[in-house]
Amino acid sequence: MKQIIKKWGCLLIVVLMLLSILSGCSMELGQESGGTTPIDGIYQGSGGGETIRILSGSENKELGEILEQCAKETGVTIEMTYKGSVDIMTELQSGAADYDAVWPASGLWLSLGDTNHLIKYDESISTTPVVFGIKQSLAEKLGFVGKDVSVSDILTAIESGKLSFCMTSATQSNSGASAYIGFLYALLGKSEGLTEADLDDPELKEKITGLLSGIDRSSGSSDWLKEMFLAGDFDAMVNYECLIIDANNTLVEQGKEPLYVVYPYDGLSIADSPLGYVDHGDAKKQEAFLQIQEYLLSEEVQNEIQKTGRRTGFEGVAEENKVYFPSEWGINVDKVLSPISMPSEPVLMKALNLYQTSFRKPSLNMYCLDYSGSMQGEGNAQLVEAMAQVLLQENAEQNLLQAEQEEINIIIAFDDEVISTYMCEGNNAEKLEELYQVVAAEEPGGGTDMYIAAEEALWQISQISNLEDYTPAIILMTDGASETGHKEEFIQQYKELGKDIPIFSIMFGSAEPEQLEELAELTNARVFDGSKDLVAAFRSVKGYN
Amino acid sequence: MKSKYIGIVILVVIVLAGGGYYFYRSQTKVQVINGYLGGEKIGLFEDEEIQEILKKEYHIQIDYSRAGSFDMITADLSGRDYLFPSSQTALELYNDTYGKPIAEEIIFNTPIVLYSHKNVADALEREGVVSQVDGVYYADMDKLTELMLNETTWSEIGLPELYGTVLVDTTDPTKSNSGNMFAALLANVLNDGKTVDESTVHGVMPELKSIFSRMGYMETSSSDLFNQFIRMGVGGKPIIAGYESQLLEYAAENPEEYEKIKDDIVMIYPTPTVWSTHVYIALDEEGKQGIDALLDSEVQRLAWEKHGFRTGGYDISSEGGFGNVVGVAQQPTGVMNMPDYEVMMKIIEGLK
Repeated sequence: MKQIIKKWGCLLIVVLMLLSILSGCSMELGQESGGTTPIDGIYQGSGGGETIRILSGSENKELGEILEQCAKETGVTIEMTYKGSVDIMTELQSGAADYDAVWPASGLWLSLGDTNHLIKYDESISTTPVVFGIKQSLAEKLGFVGKDVSVSDILTAIESGKLSFCMTSATQSNSGASAYIGFLYALLGKSEGLTEADLDDPELKEKITGLLSGIDRSSGSSDWLKEMFLAGDFDAMVNYECLIIDANNTLVEQGKEPLYVVYPYDGLSIADSPLGYVDHGDAKKQEAFLQIQEYLLSEEVQNEIQKTGRRTGFEGVAEENKVYFPSEWGINVDKVLSPISMPSEPVLMKALNLYQTSFRKPSLNMYCLDYSGSMQGEGNAQLVEAMAQVLLQENAEQNLLQAEQEEINIIIAFDDEVISTYMCEGNNAEKLEELYQVVAAEEPGGGTDMYIAAEEALWQISQISNLEDYTPAIILMTDGASETGHKEEFIQQYKELGKDIPIFSIMFGSAEPEQLEELAELTNARVFDGSKDLVAAFRSVKGYN
Repeated sequence: MKSKYIGIVILVVIVLAGGGYYFYRSQTKVQVINGYLGGEKIGLFEDEEIQEILKKEYHIQIDYSRAGSFDMITADLSGRDYLFPSSQTALELYNDTYGKPIAEEIIFNTPIVLYSHKNVADALEREGVVSQVDGVYYADMDKLTELMLNETTWSEIGLPELYGTVLVDTTDPTKSNSGNMFAALLANVLNDGKTVDESTVHGVMPELKSIFSRMGYMETSSSDLFNQFIRMGVGGKPIIAGYESQLLEYAAENPEEYEKIKDDIVMIYPTPTVWSTHVYIALDEEGKQGIDALLDSEVQRLAWEKHGFRTGGYDISSEGGFGNVVGVAQQPTGVMNMPDYEVMMKIIEGLK
């Protein structure tokens, strides 16, 4: 009997082996995700389903509840990473290995990015035009209410000093890029066919520089522009209609004046929000993606999306949803929106490069960099690499982050005191490289007091007589909790200066988030997390100024 | 002793059965082939009914990446078994680049059409550019080209709600076939309605360039352009060039949505027009299997009935209509020959 069991046991093993060969069963190696990719939002699907990692424009943050419901109903976990359109394009061009799907604001970036033919199943989820939202009373004063407004009308208001506005960076974000291209067409008096020669026209340069000088504040993302707008005191912003609606809901809730929506008829563009699958050859992911997309495109969910102020469906906004598009805010869903056509790729890229290097209002960047002892080794190496991406112009160009010709860059190296301050005016590549060399040569050591560095930055700013010609920002990178001896002094100085200067901070190592949040709140700025990828954090911050 | 004997017998039986099963599996094993596809054919390749036939009858599964007809020829072809562009010109470009392929075959055809919206079609009808015959819309390409060359604005033809000038949006003629064929059609029209050749192409290029230079950014995929046209309403894309199959497929696959838009969307046959020939290019022996599979009579029937491609055995004349779609021409009138390969290359170079 024992023998039989032995034999049968043997047989069993043979059978099992045969079966495993026959069924073509193979070990499946789990795909490791990149690890360095920051995830900005996770919507958990039920019980061990697939995870779809979506690289998305920031405007989709507003769809959080819908995505949460989507994850619940489909069982697919959704991980959202928010980036600007240009970043999404370059990520796609380099293979988008960390993502299963992309969801930029406009199909343009998807087409320009898909040089590797990775995109499948791209479908527009909703549409929204890029518009001007102007404080109601100001819009009335400017005569913009209840009539067709052109970009030239807006330019006239800006030139006469009656209007200033906030807009995202044209080289980082789709809403900024769309508005900027609209401005160029309108200033040239053309309705289509922007050429490279047009862009060299000195008259155009003068006009567009004038128009862009009306920008109070910039931003690398449309959603944050809205947040910043709400936290500050500004006249107007260029943004998606859906985000103006969102901002207005908050403004009305706070008892504040809402924005009036102006659709410039000669420079209008529409964001079509395409969600596309990035094919890395994983059939399960593909199926999970299609489940998400099908959910979002279902009639019921399209109706829900419409209620967030986005336009969906062929028949326009449903009668019962018109309440979400209040006409007293100038919103008109029955008007035919006739957008401009975007220029061809080489013309577009030239236009964006010109925006970055010579048309936009020059930045005044004050980098306060932490050289405390804890930065020694890896920390300092990352910092030097990050500054190489920002200051070395051949690197910056890859991400359309070049310096503007009149830009000022100041480096304030600090530990528990200011170690040294360096300045570079203009965008001469060699001079900027010298500034980078300084960053690379500085040795870490000592304690941490970021407030003393920020005070130095304020003093530097006070020395600049024509500050209104720049968009200033303090970019503060620190890796540890600061001594607070100079904190109150700094806050008092900031308030006394009375200028709208954001302090963007980059958190690294064991920095104290509360300290940085406090500065961000005080100065209407934001904190970037550099702990996973300091280089990427610096790139993002640079996109904001 | 007996048990030992039984054990051996069972073992032998299992090994034989297993081997037989393995043999059976290897005979019917589904082979996956992979290649580049023009976007307008994705619906067909995603069709489960067709996939089932390919799997059952031909033991293949056809995977794809999307690429424009010309883009795919210049793309990295390593690991690809086939290319499926939408024109003979693309095939000739392949021949020119790589030499003759292992096999190639025309799978189906579809004419180039214009898509527009009712109010735009009405305005063009008032201008005498568009006319209706038996419920089918036709566009006089001479007159339409003239409107475009003169940079006539939409408001000049009674559409003040549309900004800009009359232009037919197309895909990038240097990358994608539908845009490319429309460019060829315009070139023929500019050549007094005669197919352009080596001696005449030079003369039409300045005007052709002036039209295309105004288009700005052009999509590289016919499916993206069509989807945007459907999705963005009349303001977005007042008039585009595409394939007849696109609307037919849309109506067959999305009957409910089609009901909602059918009063607004108008399919217009340009006169003259050109036929798009969808030709399958096998890059290796595996890829070759796609040809027989796609020429299967059931696949050909479904290609027409569900995806709107006119095939050898199935098209509108044999069926007497296409489902719920109105305004489908029995046979487009005034079909022209495409310029030959060398001339097409000159057009593409000129428009780059």
